[in-house]
Amino acid sequence: MSTPRLFHGGLAVDADHAAPRRLDVLVGADGKIERAAPEIKPAAGVEAVDCTGKILLPGLFDMHVHLREPGREDEETIGSGGRAAARGGFTGIVAMPNTDPPIDSGGLVRYVRTLAREQSPVPVWTSGCITKGRAGQQLADIADMQQQGAVMITDDGDPVADAYLFRRALEYARHFDLLVACHCEVPELSRGGAMNEGARSYRLGLPGIPACSEEISIARDLQLARLAGGRIHIQHVSTARGLDIIRRAKADGVRVTCEVSPHHLLLSEDDITDYDTNFKMNPPLRTVEDNAALLEGLLDGSIDVLATDHAPHTEFEKNLDFASAPFGITGLETALPSLFSRLVRTGKLPWDILVRAFSREPRRILGLEVADFREGLPADFILFDPEASTHFSADTMESKSRNTPFLGQTLPGAVVQVVLGAELLLGRKQP
Amino acid sequence: MSTTAPPARRKDLLDIESLTREEIVFLLDTARPFKDLFDRSVKKVPALRGKTVLNLFFEPSTRTRASFEIAAKRLSADVTNLAITQSSVTKGESILDTVDTMQSMKVDYMVVRHAAAGVPAFIARHTPAAVINAGDGNHAHPTQALLDAFTMREAVGELDGRRILLVGDLLHSRVFRSVSTVARKLDMDVGIFAPTTLIPSGRPDYMQAFSTFDEALEWSPDFVYLLRLQRERQAAHFFPSLREYHHVFGLTRERFLECRRRGIRIMHPGPVNRGVELVDEVLTYEHCLINRQVENGIAARMAVLYWLQPAVTPLPDEKEEFAS
Repeated sequence: MSTPRLFHGGLAVDADHAAPRRLDVLVGADGKIERAAPEIKPAAGVEAVDCTGKILLPGLFDMHVHLREPGREDEETIGSGGRAAARGGFTGIVAMPNTDPPIDSGGLVRYVRTLAREQSPVPVWTSGCITKGRAGQQLADIADMQQQGAVMITDDGDPVADAYLFRRALEYARHFDLLVACHCEVPELSRGGAMNEGARSYRLGLPGIPACSEEISIARDLQLARLAGGRIHIQHVSTARGLDIIRRAKADGVRVTCEVSPHHLLLSEDDITDYDTNFKMNPPLRTVEDNAALLEGLLDGSIDVLATDHAPHTEFEKNLDFASAPFGITGLETALPSLFSRLVRTGKLPWDILVRAFSREPRRILGLEVADFREGLPADFILFDPEASTHFSADTMESKSRNTPFLGQTLPGAVVQVVLGAELLLGRKQP
Repeated sequence: MSTTAPPARRKDLLDIESLTREEIVFLLDTARPFKDLFDRSVKKVPALRGKTVLNLFFEPSTRTRASFEIAAKRLSADVTNLAITQSSVTKGESILDTVDTMQSMKVDYMVVRHAAAGVPAFIARHTPAAVINAGDGNHAHPTQALLDAFTMREAVGELDGRRILLVGDLLHSRVFRSVSTVARKLDMDVGIFAPTTLIPSGRPDYMQAFSTFDEALEWSPDFVYLLRLQRERQAAHFFPSLREYHHVFGLTRERFLECRRRGIRIMHPGPVNRGVELVDEVLTYEHCLINRQVENGIAARMAVLYWLQPAVTPLPDEKEEFAS
């Protein structure tokens, strides 16, 4: 049992408050928030944590993370991914099921949940596959996986190419009110592609992936969702037109939510200059016009969620030529500093929207308890220092893989502590 | 040509895009005296004596490799050829492993061909040797573009305002990307003619696209540059049949006669698919430059090897020790 702690002197932001406001938070020995008020007098027996100059944010939540375990523990494990999450300010993540073997049964869901409880400092939920073996042929045991704790189903990494099967998946999942998350892509149009098709792919001589590969698939999935009536979530939207299709479906009453990754907001195909494979992911980086449209969508609420699509790969794998290297970049540790430095600090993204999209909405969509500064809730918040900076290198990162476009860079802002229940997750000296 | 100082030497030649017009002109001017050597009894100069050139080919090629080999030998360099099949690389041996091994052998120049775009650039970042891109995926083939510019200049003199029409599979062609870029940098007008399926998206807008071969010839190009069509493209639905391709997009007899009437020069990077890109008669036409392109390839590559500057620094005492 730890002692009660008083986090005092800091400024808080949350899903309803864009402007930082003075907030002291008293966390009891049981890890619950006893009081949260502009000023709380320190009492005897309470450990005081000085938060002057720091920003308190509700713990972030990432509903799109590849943890690679079981199967590719050389890239990431549930333990290392969980530590990377804590380091990045996340107090909850959802593992994608495209492991080896894929998480497509109740037994595997249970196995991953067990590993997570033993090895990860932050809670790890898992998704299950839509189809057995992620092969797109047959429904996986959806109810069984849900019973064992799967919070959504997805064949992420691939779409369910068979429209009939996908319709049935949506209908069946609706019976259990389980969210179906979609990686939207028409495989025949993307095949062989390595980056967005356009002026940049022309100059680099790399095979392209047209934007419509994603857009056609989004349109199909939303039409099927309208027919089937289930809850659908479009993962990693990367194009302006794809977002417009989602907007129209929302207006049309389809129960759709969607997510955008920090890299699709911050980076474009123009950043691919030297065949650096740390800029290769799927969907690929699109255009600066898409960046702007996606940010607008996040601001107007058309985009519900921020999610990293954290996809670790070893240095050896990424040290291939661009076309042969695997898709994916890591994101857990870079997400908040990169968004803060490029969008929040510059006034383009208010804090409340960031908290909504990166904490409240993903938890709400998945039916999980929302992190907030309300009395009685378990403590679940982070301390962020806007004046400090974060350097990204092999020495400073917790993820087993370093395939991030921010490698070697120092960005303004740093997550200095993660408060989860009665625990302080970051081992460094207290702020 | 000009009497200004030659441009600063570069370590690598990876594409045409990064070259300035001055550098291109310098390389073309430099190739000229090298070509003049070819008619002498001794075709060699000692410029690269004691240097080692490695031909590192990850993709099969006989013509380009031979051209580089002869170019290096005429500069008195030692040449080693290394052909690496795709299979040994896909088995998990990374390109860097290969490059590290080669670097241990202290080569000064690496001539790299690979089926994937960006590999020569990737290797160049990891070796002090000068790297020459001998063709990477659909990206670039800079020495081909230089030899073509040399050939065009040899045929008609200064190229400013001259017109080149590129015909055929533009989409899968690194030759197209590099030749169109060199033409643009030398202030030529660039026209293209190809089935819509084989025109890459994202191409720059200075290219004028034509919808029929006749319309393209009406534009009065000085050069018609035919690109090689890989037969397997038919299977991927880029066009329905070779027969139809030839009828609509090939240099048929009729169109060839029109070229001859207009005195248009015909070029092709080789090897030629007879009856697909062009009819046989073209090869004996007085303004067919295809064989000259091959010959000039050696001179252009000599100029490149001569100009590049490896970052390999010899030990200070080395010179004295081995001086004759």
